Formats: sequence, structure tokens, C-alpha cells
Amino acid sequence: MEFLSFSNPTTLVALPILGCLILLFVPGHRPDLVRWISIIFATIVLGISIYFFIFFDLSEGGRQFVYEYEWLSLAGPWVDSQRAISMSVGIDGVAATMVLLTGIVMFTGTLVSWNINVKNKDFFILYFLLLSGVFGVFITYDLFFFFFFYELSVLPMYLLIAKWGSTSKFSSFERTKEYSAMKLTLVLVAGSVLIWVAIIAMFVQSGVGSFHIDEVQAVMPDKFSVEFQSAFFLMLMIGFGILAGLWPFHTWSPDGHVAAPTAVSMVHAGVLMKLGAFGIMRVGMTLLPEGAQIWMPLLIGLGAVNVIYGALSAMGQTDLKYVIGYSSVSHMGYVLMGLGTLSLMGLNGAVLQMFSHGVMTALFFAVVGMIYERTHTRDSLILTGLAQKMGVVAVLFTIAGLTSLGLPGLSGFAAELLIFIGIFQSYEVWGVILGSLAVIGAAITAVYILRLLSKVFFGSAKDDLLNYSDATLREKVAAGVLVGLILLVGILPFPFVKMIESGVKPILLQIVGAG
Amino acid sequence: MILSAEYAWVIPGSAIIAFCLTSLFGKKLPFRGIFLPVTAALLGFILFCLIFLDFIFADFSVTTASIDWMVVGDWSLTWGFSVDEISIVMLGLVTFISLVVQVYSIGYMSGDPRLSWYFAVHALFAGAMLALVLADNLLFLYFCWELVGLGSYLLIGFWFEKRAASEAAKKAFITTRLGDVGLLIGIILLFKATGTFHIPSIIHAAQNGAISESTLMWSSLMIFLGAMGKSAQFPFHVWLPDAMEGPTPVSALIHAATMVVAGVYLIARMLPLLEIVPGFLTIVALVGLFTFLFAGVIALVMTDIKKVLAYSTISHLGLMILTLGAGGLAAAMFHLVVHGFSKALLFLGAGSVMHGMNGETDCWKMGGLSRKMSVTSATFLIGCLSLAGIIPLSGFFSKDEMLIAINDGLGPVFLFATLAGVFLSSLYMIRLFCVIFMGRSRSEEANNSHESPPVMTFPLLVLSLFGVLLGLLALPLPLGEFEGFGNFIDPYHHFHISPWITPLSLGLALTGLIIGFMCYGYSKISHELVAMKFGYLYRLVLSKFYIDEFYQWIIDKVVLSTARFVSIFDRVVVNDTGVDGIGVSVVLSAFKARLTQTGKLYNYGTAMGVGILFMAVMWILVSN
Repeated sequence: MEFLSFSNPTTLVALPILGCLILLFVPGHRPDLVRWISIIFATIVLGISIYFFIFFDLSEGGRQFVYEYEWLSLAGPWVDSQRAISMSVGIDGVAATMVLLTGIVMFTGTLVSWNINVKNKDFFILYFLLLSGVFGVFITYDLFFFFFFYELSVLPMYLLIAKWGSTSKFSSFERTKEYSAMKLTLVLVAGSVLIWVAIIAMFVQSGVGSFHIDEVQAVMPDKFSVEFQSAFFLMLMIGFGILAGLWPFHTWSPDGHVAAPTAVSMVHAGVLMKLGAFGIMRVGMTLLPEGAQIWMPLLIGLGAVNVIYGALSAMGQTDLKYVIGYSSVSHMGYVLMGLGTLSLMGLNGAVLQMFSHGVMTALFFAVVGMIYERTHTRDSLILTGLAQKMGVVAVLFTIAGLTSLGLPGLSGFAAELLIFIGIFQSYEVWGVILGSLAVIGAAITAVYILRLLSKVFFGSAKDDLLNYSDATLREKVAAGVLVGLILLVGILPFPFVKMIESGVKPILLQIVGAG
Repeated sequence: MILSAEYAWVIPGSAIIAFCLTSLFGKKLPFRGIFLPVTAALLGFILFCLIFLDFIFADFSVTTASIDWMVVGDWSLTWGFSVDEISIVMLGLVTFISLVVQVYSIGYMSGDPRLSWYFAVHALFAGAMLALVLADNLLFLYFCWELVGLGSYLLIGFWFEKRAASEAAKKAFITTRLGDVGLLIGIILLFKATGTFHIPSIIHAAQNGAISESTLMWSSLMIFLGAMGKSAQFPFHVWLPDAMEGPTPVSALIHAATMVVAGVYLIARMLPLLEIVPGFLTIVALVGLFTFLFAGVIALVMTDIKKVLAYSTISHLGLMILTLGAGGLAAAMFHLVVHGFSKALLFLGAGSVMHGMNGETDCWKMGGLSRKMSVTSATFLIGCLSLAGIIPLSGFFSKDEMLIAINDGLGPVFLFATLAGVFLSSLYMIRLFCVIFMGRSRSEEANNSHESPPVMTFPLLVLSLFGVLLGLLALPLPLGEFEGFGNFIDPYHHFHISPWITPLSLGLALTGLIIGFMCYGYSKISHELVAMKFGYLYRLVLSKFYIDEFYQWIIDKVVLSTARFVSIFDRVVVNDTGVDGIGVSVVLSAFKARLTQTGKLYNYGTAMGVGILFMAVMWILVSN
């Protein structure tokens, strides 16, 4: 079973699927057994993702742990290709970072989903299926399987939200979970259509008869004209951008976050939105470098809109989950801006921000889940003085909030600093203007986060809130892992930055070479 | 060589370690772990003494040490320490004040349920400030700068059950954060121009003309914004008076040693850079002068003991900024130290008064306390007189040096405006003292007040001793190569007394004292009558020129309205119209398209006929 050998990235896809299969045979009336099996699988997967991060050979860089399985070969008069479609996996610096993030979110998400008691078997099956798709996107080097896994990580979301989600009622409007689930799926699928069209176009235009990224990349300079690159990069940018929350295609994301159950929100905002940004790098920048250069100013500009617009929208919300949902839109704006700089600083910062935001937002949603489980409301107009009875929860929320507003010593600052520098260096005057906007966005974040903290956690407690208990050991473990990582990246970003740099350098060299 | 300055990083390091240990395990340790931060503070002070002695008696040398924090491509972002004269001075101030305040807090905070958390954050606050003054590059400085902000947030909001405390903490963090936006932009601008964050390298590059004029101008302005935020200069001053919601020893720490002096320190550090921009120092001086007078006027009418002290701090910070704007680096740094000691003394004295008065802060409910609290009142008087600038207390010497620097650097117009502020300073100081400690008791609590325990009065005595003696540092003392404080900071500076400025300023300060005493001590002049005569003006000042209200209006009406508008726009226009609209139009067009399937033969026949006709026409057109 080479599939399940430790140093084979395919394991990351295979193990969650194996988990699904085992869970299928667990009787539905044994929820505890389901929980324990799930946590065991999640722990093993976390272990493997840590393994890849640690045993990635930094001095060598590039792509490591490469494995390839033939799936379909084409032979005919027009083309002769041995690897038309192949399950071709490998891990580079960026993927290693993202795989680690996914492993962590999967593990902590499983922990906080402990109390799900409606059909928890089905929940974990879909949850694992989703994560197996996410892992697949990060490790595969074949465009076909890339797209396959990309879809695999979107579709289970529909069921997870529509079945286990929650409907929000506000005084003026209502968002049902079915609506949110449907919108999320349809909007993302619309993005997928653009991506799929672009992938097919590249497959045809390259003429090598292979979906393998390396094969396409090898002929790319001769076969892809500037016009071709420009047209299809824009398509990819919007297609992937939709998943990354690119303005104005972002509205699926806050609604989806809010309707989803806690663990799904964590995966969704923590990892899934990163797939979009990852796709822009892995497919867009690698295969269409000149297109990337043409459209990057637009990406920085829209990213800046994301940052400011998302932050202002977050300030206008009263539901805790909506605030965090919009803050994700705002923070993904930093990622997009970082990508748009096409510089080592900016790309490094963008990937580090993907990691940092993933961990931070997972912590945010976990904490909001804890509050919701106890108080059965997420309305910041009702909640007050929680810190008195839920000290640990308050500390966790504060840490997540401070990360979000970019406090030095926590992961957000390290990432955002690199992005800021990247933007400032990108253009002479516009770089300064857009960079300043990005910095101002962080200040707006401070306003809404601190308002929320002050409103929800501080002040005198209402009598009916006094009965609530503080975080349990299980919750503390889940949150502790996330907090530990936030501090680690914030204080010692060195190993992460080195790892990411080994991954983004080849992409960047190619773009600079193309220019 | 007693202790190499290379080990200076141990000072903030030990404080940060104390923070981690106490905050995590404080509840389980004996004495709830408070001995750890106190030990760290003591260790810091001892290390400072060793380094200081080394500097005095061994060779003067700037020592640096740094490690890489991040390396991206060819750029390395470092954490670096450098020990020079300015950082030595700041080290001494911060380690000593934080030690004294911690000892005092043992008494003041005893019995608080979150005692270990208080001491832990105290250590974090001091540690961040210590690292800030040691930082040799702007990035690390910013790093610590924000952590100082975090410390203030946590300490001001320490009693978070009180709505006012959590609001004040939020206000402090957000207001300073606005300035920090500027600081970060300024820092990155300089990095963009020079490729480094290292302060001496940046200054060197600027002096060699390697930075373009516009970059230099903008980055100076941005950095100054950061300093204005932290040092509570107009119009960023609003957070400081509210910050009084924290425990009183925290106010002493914030006002004397950690938070607010960071801005002054930053300007002092970057002075060689700011000097290069033509006319920039005049802006600095104007901001400082305005703040000096503005806050002085407000301090005159406040009735809350801590608020008077808060506005006095804002005013004196303005004076320091003004002096820096005049190029008086040595004088400003000297006043920073002197003011730090005096203000710590006053705040701890105020804490002692409140301790004896069951937490009452309205000074009109006090009166006659000198009979009950002899140590507190005597030490408080020393603090007041020192800040009023009365010979031979330390404030006299620092004020004198500043006035000379202002006259030399900016000319007589600024000098006379400053002298007006000096008069105000002594007036509000003596007013505060008289109302609290003299006359008759004006409330039940005042009658039953009592002196504080020795653990609180001892720090007062120590600080007042410094308040008396510190001024001597200005003089060239027979100590190694030490030729007076000013010369220590700035080798071109020598102590001297101007034959007309010194008597003039002293005379003004004494006049202020006498008038204040007549108003509030002996009631020869009725202050109520004065207030009534200028009723409109009095109310305007009493309401702090409505600046807080104005900001509140901006937040409510502009910022929050914009936010609400954006979020409604997002829901109605982007989502309901843009996204759902597309969905709905697809559904609607599907319904419309469905209508073509009528099931009636003649409809289908017509459609077929039209289709055939169309194809025939097309065929004819194409084939021709």
C-alpha cells in the first residue's frame, strides 16, 4: 500500500476517504464511536501534515515527495501523450504550509464538532470528504485532478450547510440556511465554470495532450500568445477570485460562514477561501505569467477594495459571525493585494497571510461557536459582560481579535507587514497610496474588533448570562493549538517564511523571466 | 568593565518572561506570582545601574546586537538592540519608575481578585517600553510600540466590569492606533527609500541626500503623527484623560515612564532626520506649543484630581515636543526624566489620597487632608512645586534649560508664549494642592480619611527625594567624565543660566503660586466670582472645548453611518440585486421560455415555417 506510506502526499487524500468508508459502516446510533474514529483520523492526518512540513528539505527547495499514478493516456494521430491525465502529486513550500494549515483546521474542527448529535456520522463523512478535496488541491500537479478536487471541496459544503447549518433572523430580513447553501454552491460553481473553460483552453492550446502542469508549462512560452494569456488569466483570476472572496463576488462568503455549523465555518473561511488564492498562483501565475503581469494592477486594486469595503461592512454588522465573515473578506483582500505585487515580499506575505488568517479565523469561529453553544445567540446587541463568567473564552477571542488587527507578536502582523512592504515597493506613487489604504484597513479592523470586544465581553454581566460555564478542556485544547500557532508565527516567522519562499521563488522567477 | 551593554536585552527579556510565567501560572504560585514581575523589575534596575556605571567610568561606546527576525530574499528584518546615551537615560527612568510603582501596587492593589494578571501585564507594559527604548531599528521599535499600546489597553481596561473602563481602554487603543497608521506608513516609506530599518543608517542616508525630499517630508510627517498619538498631542490628546479609569498606579506608569513618553522619545531619536526637512521642526514646535497652552488651560478648571494631573501631563508633553522642535534635545530629555519622576510622585500621591478617601476623586469633596495625611501631603507638595518650576527643585532646572533652548532655537515669540504656559503650570498645580490638602474638610470621607500604609508611602518618599535632588544632575558634577545631564546626551551642550530668562520664569512661576494660593488657599480672591464673570468661557473650557463630543459625533454620524451604509449597500445592491438578481432573472427567463412550449400544433407549425424560411434566406445569402 504505497498509497498509505508516510511520505506519500496521496495519503492526505486517501486517509480522509478511508475515514469516510469506515464511518459508513459504523452504526448511526453509536455517535461516540463516530466521534472517536473521527478524532483518530483527524489526529493522524494532522501528524502527517506536520511530517511534511518538518521533513521538507529546505536546502533543496522545489517540489518534493513526488509521486505519479497514470490514470489515462491518449494516443492518436494528433497527439501522443503518456500522461494525459495522471494523479501526479508533490509538495512545494507553499503546499507544505497550506497542508499544515488544513491539517490543523481539520483537527480543531473535529474537536469543536464534538457536540453535534443530529446525524453526526453523516456530518463527519461529508466533512472528511470535503477535507480530502482540499488536500487534493494543494498537492496535485495535474490540472484535471486539480479541478476534480477543487469541486470535491465545494460540493459537500452544500449539504453540510443546508443540513447542519443555522438560519439567521434579523429585524429587517432573514437568511435561511438553504438560501445560503444554495447561493454558495451556485456562485462557486459559476466560478468553476470559468476555471474549467480556461483549463480546457490551455490543454487544447498547448497541444501536448496532457493536463500535467509541467508539460503545459514546458511549451507555454511558445504556444501561449500574450493575448491568449491575457484573456484566460482574467478568466482564472475571476474564477479563483470568487472562492477567495474577490469583490464584488464575495457575498456568498459571509452568508455561507454564518449559516454553516462551526467546524464548517472554520474550514470554509480558514482553508477553503485559500484555495482560490492558491489556484491563482498554482495555475494562473505558473501557466500564464504574462497574463498575470497584465492583470495584476487590477488584482491589487480590487484587493484594496476588499480590504476597506470588507472592514467597513464588518463594522456595520451586529451578528458576531457576520462580523467575522466580513472580516474574512477584508483579510483575503490582503492576500489578493500581496499576490498582485508579484514581488518576493508580497507573495511571501500573501501566503503567510493565508496561513495566518486561516488559523486566526478558525479560532474566531471556534470561539463564536463556544459562545453560541452556551448562550444560543450571536447578537452583539444582546451579549454583554461575558468575560466575567467565560474568562478563557474572552482571552481567546481577544487573541484572535488582536491578530486580526495586526498586533505585533501575533501572526497577522508578520504577514501583513510583508504585504505592506510589497505593495509600497510595487509602484512609485500608486504603491504608496494603495499601501496606505491597506494600513488604514488594519486601523478600521481595530475599530470594529475593539468595539465588539468591549460590547460583548466587557461591562457588567446580565443576570441570565451568569450561569454560563467557561471553556471545557476539549475546547481549550482545540483553541490552544490555534493560539500556539498564532504566537509561533508572530514571534518566529522565520521557518515559515523560508518555507514559503522556496515555493514562491520559482513562480516569481518565471514571471520576471517572462517580463 | 562591570557589565557589558551587550546584555541590555536581558532587561526587557526578564520582564517579558515574568509576564508569561505570571499570566499563565500566577494563580498557582505563592503570593499569586506577583514576586516574579517585581523581581524582574528589580533585576532590570540593577542591570541598568551596572550598565550606567560602565558608561560613566569606562569608555563611552554605543553597543549594538541584533538577530534576524525574518529574511525575505535579500532583505533581512531584524530585532536589534543598541545602547547609547538616550537609551541609557530612558532605561533608568523606566526601570526605576516601574519598580517603584510595582512596590506601591503591592499595597494599593492588595485584595484585587485579578492581582496576578495585574502584575503580569505591568511587566509586559514595562518590558515592551524597555525594548522600545533599546531598539536600534524602526521595525522593532514599531513592534514594541504596539505592544506598549496593548499593555495600556489591558491596564486601562483592567477593571473591565466597569463600562467606562472598557470604553476608555478602547478609546486609548484606537486613538493611538490612528497615529500608528502614520508611523507604520512612515517607516515603510523610509524602508522603500533606503532598504533598511536601521535608524542610524536611515539618518546617514538622509544626511547624504540619498532620500528624495518628498519622501523625507512625508515620512517625517507620518512618524510625527505616530508620536502625536502616543504622546497625546492635540488633536490626539483625548484618550489620556479617559485613561484614568485604570488603577491609579497604572496612571503613574503610563504618565511617567512608559506610554506617553514613547512619542517624545521617538521624536528625540529621529530628530536628526526631522531636522533635514526644511521648516518641519517649526510644525513640531507649533503642535507642542499649542498642546502645552491648551491642556494647561483645561487643567485649570478640572475638578477631578486625576484629570488635572492628566491634563498637566498632556501640557508638559507638549512642552517637551516644543523643546524638541526648537532642537533642544538635551533639555527635552532632561525634562522627560524630571517630569517622569514628579508625575509618578503626584499620581502615586493621588492614589494615596484616593486610598484614604475610599476611592473619591473629586477634589472639591476633599480639603484639609494635610492634617490626616502628612507624608502624602508633603510629598505631593514637592511634586507640585517641582512641576511648577520652583527653585531648587528639579523642575526648575529642566524648565530653565528648555526655555533657553526655545529662545535659542525659535526666538522670543515662542519664548513668551511658553512663559505664559509656565505661569499656568504653577497656577493649576498650587490650585490642586490647596483644594485637596488645605482649608476645611468638605465631606464625610475627608473627615475620616487616613494615611496609607508604609508600602505606599515609602515609594512616595523615595520619589520626592529624587524630585528634590534630580535637578542637580543638570550641573557639571565631579563624577568621571560626567559634565551635566545635557552634556551626557549632547556633547555640544553645556549648562548655563541666562541672566534674564531664569529670573523671569521663576518670577512668573512664583506669581502663579501666589495668585493660586490667594484664590484657593486663603480665599482672598473668589474663584467662583472669576468663573461667573467669564461664564461662557469657563463652560467652554470645562467641557474641554467640546472636542470629545466632536469626535463622538464623527464616530457616530460619519464612521458608523458609512459602515452601516456600506453594509446595507452590500446587502441590497451587491447581493440582493447583483447576485440574487442574476438568479431571479435566470428563473424568470426560464418561465418565459417555458411559455413557448404551448403544446398547440399550429404554434409549432408556424415556428417551423418561420425557421425554414429563415434558413432558406440565409442559404441564398451565403451561397451568393
